[in-house]
Amino acid sequence: MAVVSTATAAANPTHQHVTVNRPNPVSVGTIVWLASELMFFAALFAMYFTVRQTMPAEEWAAQADKLNITFSTINTIVLVLSSFTCQWAVFKAEQFKPSRSGKLYQFWTWGMHEWLTMTYVMGAFFIGGQIFEYAELVEHGLTISSSAYGSVFYLTTGFHGLHVTGGLIAFLFVLGRSFAAKRFGHHEATTTIVTSYYWHFVDVVWIALFAVIYLLQ
Amino acid sequence: MKIETRLFLWGTPLFVLAGVVYGFMTDWTEPVGYLGMPLVGGLVAMIGAYLGLTARRIDARPEDDPNGNIEDAAGDQGVYAPWSWWPLAIAGSAAICFLGLAVGWWVFYIGFCVSVIALVGWVFEYSRGIHSH
Repeated sequence: MAVVSTATAAANPTHQHVTVNRPNPVSVGTIVWLASELMFFAALFAMYFTVRQTMPAEEWAAQADKLNITFSTINTIVLVLSSFTCQWAVFKAEQFKPSRSGKLYQFWTWGMHEWLTMTYVMGAFFIGGQIFEYAELVEHGLTISSSAYGSVFYLTTGFHGLHVTGGLIAFLFVLGRSFAAKRFGHHEATTTIVTSYYWHFVDVVWIALFAVIYLLQ
Repeated sequence: MKIETRLFLWGTPLFVLAGVVYGFMTDWTEPVGYLGMPLVGGLVAMIGAYLGLTARRIDARPEDDPNGNIEDAAGDQGVYAPWSWWPLAIAGSAAICFLGLAVGWWVFYIGFCVSVIALVGWVFEYSRGIHSH
């Protein structure tokens, strides 16, 4: 089996006899679950637009004007870039290269651990930024119970933030599994790949949320 | 995997179209429908696109061969845990957590601690002990 086929083919440990090259059931399960996650966020979008339609326009605008676009744009850029570092971790996992082969600053020699840690730091930056943003908004009088706008704002961005936090925990598990393994194999690579699916999905959802909440308002 | 891919992908235009028709019928005043329906299209598109892309990277399976026999598909379907108690532990800890949301936060804290143990046990089950590799 070719090295890169972990993403698409069922794992093939030596004690098993895989005669048929099948889609990896872990990947298939993750995609099906993410599709259901899409519907979860669809419900949040539906809620957001319904409240936007029923709330008086000037009242809505007065609340939405409190948002700090510059700050959230920087946060968004960091999250989008973290998807790229996450994909780099996947490339290294597919090459079965868990750790770096050079010095720490030689990022071109990095393995899966380094790229994933980088992704983790960027994701943590995003969450930290979001907490900072929330604190600022609460100071300006926008809380989850202050108005209907506050409710939908905190529910949509908050549930997304919880998903990012879940992704950060998943990264810790991916790293933990990799550190626990003496030989980095299909088991570890599969974990890395499906976690990256999740991270990319959450990233794409944020781009949609950012466009709707901050840019479209 | 053509049949699986089409089963999902062909749903996409149907749901998007249904969303647009619904939008016109309600004068675009009811966002749940005109957003929800196209996003169901997104749901099937995600699965369909994944199956289509995967089909390109693997060989045709015995199921794809019209003249295939049942026994051609023999062998492993993937790696599965033969048995494990950890999913039960995770489900139990989730139940305690949700009970905590209904009853009081102190129950939730207990559920959280049990969740940590259950999750770590489940994730590392095939990385340690007799399964360490």
